[in-house]
Amino acid sequence: MWFKGRTPVLGDFEQLVLLAVLRLELQESAYGAALRQEIHTRSGRDVSINAVYTTLDRLETKGLLRSWVGDPTPQRGGRRRKFYALRPAGVAALRQAYRAFTAMADGL
Amino acid sequence: MTDPPRLAIWLLTRRLSPEWRDFIVGDLEEEFATRSGDSPLAARAWLWWQTMRCLAAPPPVYPKPLPLGSSQGDSRMRTLFADLRYAFRVMSRTPSFAVAVVSVLALGIGANTTIFSIVNAVLLRPLPFEETERLVRIFTRTPGGRPFELSPGKFYDWQRDAQSFEGMATYRGLREFALTGTGTARTVSVTPVSAGFFEIVRARPALGRVFREEEDTPGGKYVVVLSDRFWRAEFGGNPEVIGHTVELNDEAYTIVGVMPGSASVASWSAMASDVWVPLALSDEQRAARGNHYLHGVARLNRDVELAQAQAEMDAISARLAREFPKSDDRWGAVVIPMHEEVVADSRTMLLMLLGAVGLVLLIACANVGNLLFTRALSRRREIAIRSALGAGRGRVFQQLLTEALLLAGAGGALGLLLAYGTLTSASTLLAGQVPRAEEISIDGRVLLFAVGVSILTGMLAGTLPAVRAGRADLNDALKEGGCSDGAIGVGTRRLLIVCEVALSLVLLMGAGVMIQSLLALRHGDTGFDPNNVLTMDVRLVDTRYPTPAQRSSFFDAALQRIRALPGVEAAGTIDDLPLVDDGSSQTLDLEGYPPQRDPVAVQVRQITPGYVRAMGIPVLRGRDIVENDAEVLLVSADAAKLYWGADDPIGRRATLPFSKTVLRRVVGIVGDVKQRNLIEATTPTVYFYTREPYGSATFVIRTAVPPATRAQPAVAAIRAIDPEQPVGDIRTMVQVVDGGLTSQRLSALLLGVFAGVALLLAAVGIYSVLSYIVRGRRHEIGIRTALGARPADVLRLVIVEGMSPALVGIAAGTIAALASATVMEGLVFGVSASDPLTLAAVAATLAVVALMASLVPAYRALRLDPVKVLRAE
Repeated sequence: MWFKGRTPVLGDFEQLVLLAVLRLELQESAYGAALRQEIHTRSGRDVSINAVYTTLDRLETKGLLRSWVGDPTPQRGGRRRKFYALRPAGVAALRQAYRAFTAMADGL
Repeated sequence: MTDPPRLAIWLLTRRLSPEWRDFIVGDLEEEFATRSGDSPLAARAWLWWQTMRCLAAPPPVYPKPLPLGSSQGDSRMRTLFADLRYAFRVMSRTPSFAVAVVSVLALGIGANTTIFSIVNAVLLRPLPFEETERLVRIFTRTPGGRPFELSPGKFYDWQRDAQSFEGMATYRGLREFALTGTGTARTVSVTPVSAGFFEIVRARPALGRVFREEEDTPGGKYVVVLSDRFWRAEFGGNPEVIGHTVELNDEAYTIVGVMPGSASVASWSAMASDVWVPLALSDEQRAARGNHYLHGVARLNRDVELAQAQAEMDAISARLAREFPKSDDRWGAVVIPMHEEVVADSRTMLLMLLGAVGLVLLIACANVGNLLFTRALSRRREIAIRSALGAGRGRVFQQLLTEALLLAGAGGALGLLLAYGTLTSASTLLAGQVPRAEEISIDGRVLLFAVGVSILTGMLAGTLPAVRAGRADLNDALKEGGCSDGAIGVGTRRLLIVCEVALSLVLLMGAGVMIQSLLALRHGDTGFDPNNVLTMDVRLVDTRYPTPAQRSSFFDAALQRIRALPGVEAAGTIDDLPLVDDGSSQTLDLEGYPPQRDPVAVQVRQITPGYVRAMGIPVLRGRDIVENDAEVLLVSADAAKLYWGADDPIGRRATLPFSKTVLRRVVGIVGDVKQRNLIEATTPTVYFYTREPYGSATFVIRTAVPPATRAQPAVAAIRAIDPEQPVGDIRTMVQVVDGGLTSQRLSALLLGVFAGVALLLAAVGIYSVLSYIVRGRRHEIGIRTALGARPADVLRLVIVEGMSPALVGIAAGTIAALASATVMEGLVFGVSASDPLTLAAVAATLAVVALMASLVPAYRALRLDPVKVLRAE
């Protein structure tokens, strides 16, 4: 709504996906397969590729991510990659989630 | 390297939407390629496992909105645009509704913007000089505590001793000089100023220079600084004008400077004149302490507060009082910020008007709120469908608020135009009614105000209906028939009526007492009869009439010619006309009486025979002055009592300390007159007649015919004696009296208009709410009629419905009016701001208007045909 401007609250998996994008976007390799592997290696969760894309799409609709489509590559059977990067709102949402987590965990 | 299982890829391409196909299949193939390097079998298993999961739940596909602009667009903005588009469509479907709402709002916002632009120019905008907050006016304080003009002796002592000021300058009140040598009789307004005046004000010349120290002496005084206006009118804006001369009162003045247009300020007489000349007092004049005729202006030092400066001036005054006990005892000094002095008494009036016009806007808001509410309810079905389709209450609220804001925006734009039109057409009317009228304009601050008020209005009028409509019950609204035609939100509407009536009552009460106060002042006893009296100012040029005898014979000759005119009953002159000029104020020294301990100053006026009769002032005892008299006095009844007590003053003698100290004999007692203004009581006055008159006088002519028709012949009579003699300020005495009431008349007029608008809006509000209620209850009324209710019963039903909130409003408004009376008390005269009679009249008016507004819906209820109503079920 136009008269509201709050940062959305992130779900658990959304946080993982955003963090993965954050890690990979600097190497220009924040696309589905790479993100899925990053999440798998770091968090141990073997998630399906469709779950990754569903979440990426939702985060993009919320205005936290932006995306663009790369060139086709032969090792993908001539198919294109869809790359993602964080918008400022995404960074803010992540920061808020991180703060909330550390604040709640503080002193435990 | 093995290929990925074809069946899996085929299944995926079938199942996935084209939007995702490339990316997902590409990703899977890519990862499969990496994994198959380790173990082809595990890679195949992995790919199948992923395929199954994708097939079970592929990423969802939403209809993507059309791209808006270059980026995806902010979804909030998109919603806003969609709401605005929709609001536009809704409005254009029912233009009459939109027109009604927009015009009510335009009226309210326009009136507010108009008043605010006046307040902005008068109270908020600084004077057009540098650091005006450091500019102060300096006055003496009379033993009575009133700020008063300065005497030269005091001023020069202050200027020498005071340390709080960067500088202090003095000037004389505006004087009229004759512009001679041009062949026509034209007067020029002249302000004589002391050296340093322009530097202190920070008025820098556009051409040439300002006065030098040595020019502020009787020897060097023939120099002049022109105003921009005079320079353009007389010299066509010629930049080579410096060094030329201009002839004033038959004497040549060398032009040394020209002020820029921005330095002319109509609201401060010193900067409003056509030209400035040096004050040029002689040493003897500078030492005079008794005669108060100078004005003081000063600039505070940067680090000095007003209170410090005042304290220093108090200390200096106390010292001077010891040094000059005869002239300075019990006189003090007053330092007043320049802005406050210019704005003077209009502050309270303007703020009161701003408050009043704010109330009008509130009433307009209540009306518009009611209209929007009705409208929101008639759209209940639409809103219900939106809710059923998933629009939250917030979303519905937002849509309705957007509509209200759109209407308010349109009203604001129209209101701004209205304000601009009003100010343009009323600019001449406003000049002279409020200070700084020439500076009234629509600037950035006014625009900001208008925008702010519009948004606030939209919020105020839109919030309540939007909240209430969002709360409507889905089931009810969607049900066919149901209570969709029943009255909803009746409580809210009644509350709106209560508010409207209460606010209208406050405004009507204000207007009522203001008008009564105006009438009291206008028709109050002034002590003279202003009807059929013509007045005109004549200022003789000193150089043409240098001796008292010449001046005396001029006035005698002029009066004789004027008295001989047909239709003239009496004519005389006075130095300072009542209600116009602050005249001389002196204490009398009585012959044969011990000096009074605390002599009270009385007004002293110089008159000629015929004045008392021309003004219609009654001669109570003794006789009027006549031509053969020389150095005689007339005293007013109060002045007689003040000085002679129970003794009979007629035949006794007294001297006036500041007007040629000769003993003058009292010949008669006349009635008291309001000399200073209409608001204060009559002032004790002493009139004297001398054969040595001042060079300026106001002719007062009583006529048997309408006085304005005698103006031409009277001016011709004067011109017959001296064709180059200017005659100014030709007015009837009624105009003079009215001139003293301009600010009261303005506030009475505006309050009256506001109250009228408020009354109209309240009537419309009651009418529309009641119509709505009657429509909602027509089923019930139909049944009642069918069951045998008489017309009187139906009538009572409706009228009680309308009158009860109106009566509650009247009660609430009475309390509010009494509470706000404290504000009005300082603005009204001759009537109490909480006058019970006015309050009763106002309450009765409102009750009658409410009744009238209820009658039409009541009549409609009577005409309801029960058969039709019940069949419609």
